[in-house]
Amino acid sequence: MTRRERFALAFYDQAKSDWDVYNSLAKLRLARCHELHYLQMACEKLAKAYALRKVDADVDSVTEQHVAFHSFINAYLRSPAVAKAYAGQDARHRELCKTSGTIAREIEKLAPAVDRKAFPENAEYPWERGDTVLTPCKYSFPALSLLEEPGGRAFLRLVAEVVRDYTPTA
Amino acid sequence: MPTKEEVIRSLVSHHFRVEAGLEQILVIPGEAAEPIKLLEVNANTFPSGTVDVFAFSPTQDVPFVTEIAEVTPEEFERLKRRDLSLPAGWTLVGATAVHRPAA
Repeated sequence: MTRRERFALAFYDQAKSDWDVYNSLAKLRLARCHELHYLQMACEKLAKAYALRKVDADVDSVTEQHVAFHSFINAYLRSPAVAKAYAGQDARHRELCKTSGTIAREIEKLAPAVDRKAFPENAEYPWERGDTVLTPCKYSFPALSLLEEPGGRAFLRLVAEVVRDYTPTA
Repeated sequence: MPTKEEVIRSLVSHHFRVEAGLEQILVIPGEAAEPIKLLEVNANTFPSGTVDVFAFSPTQDVPFVTEIAEVTPEEFERLKRRDLSLPAGWTLVGATAVHRPAA
């Protein structure tokens, strides 16, 4: 196994573990920030695991720099396997692309690598809005309420599929 | 088995149908044995400051590894100015630009 494949598999294993924790936390009805934190971490690592499938990927660059999860989801949605699954259902596929792209971006905004000045809401640390200090465990994350809607459930099924179908080489 | 060119035409057409924000798709040149490489300029995506490429496995209909990256129109301008870099194995030299078909 090459260094790239070893890292690809390692990122996948960690992503899958984060995804399992997300699913466990989602059933416990704790403060929402905790499950979202694990969902964001799973998604970020999945994007890296897929970026490392490119045979000439720059391993150090992928492992050390932020890989955009929304770019990954958009690419995945246009991958041959998803196209095949939605063959003859362009309207449904289009709707999935639209909703999933929006949710992926909202999840990505929770990542520590994303500009905290532009997007202060995050799942770990308090932030300030005007005179108010907001706490993740008391915040409802309204932008991610989409996750509870049909489009959100479709997005989560998509992530589950990404986790299930992974191999370190395309 | 469909040729690589036929598969590319089919993929490009499908991508325009399912993503309304796609302005153009650049087919990055490569040897026959190399993956299909598509750089997609998407007005509906968000700038990330890098070009992340993701590789997908062949299927019965697409019997080639397919690599897909997307950038915003502004990032594409930066790529053309060489203000942003493409990853290893990707070049705009000799790339075929396919624009969104008129509605």
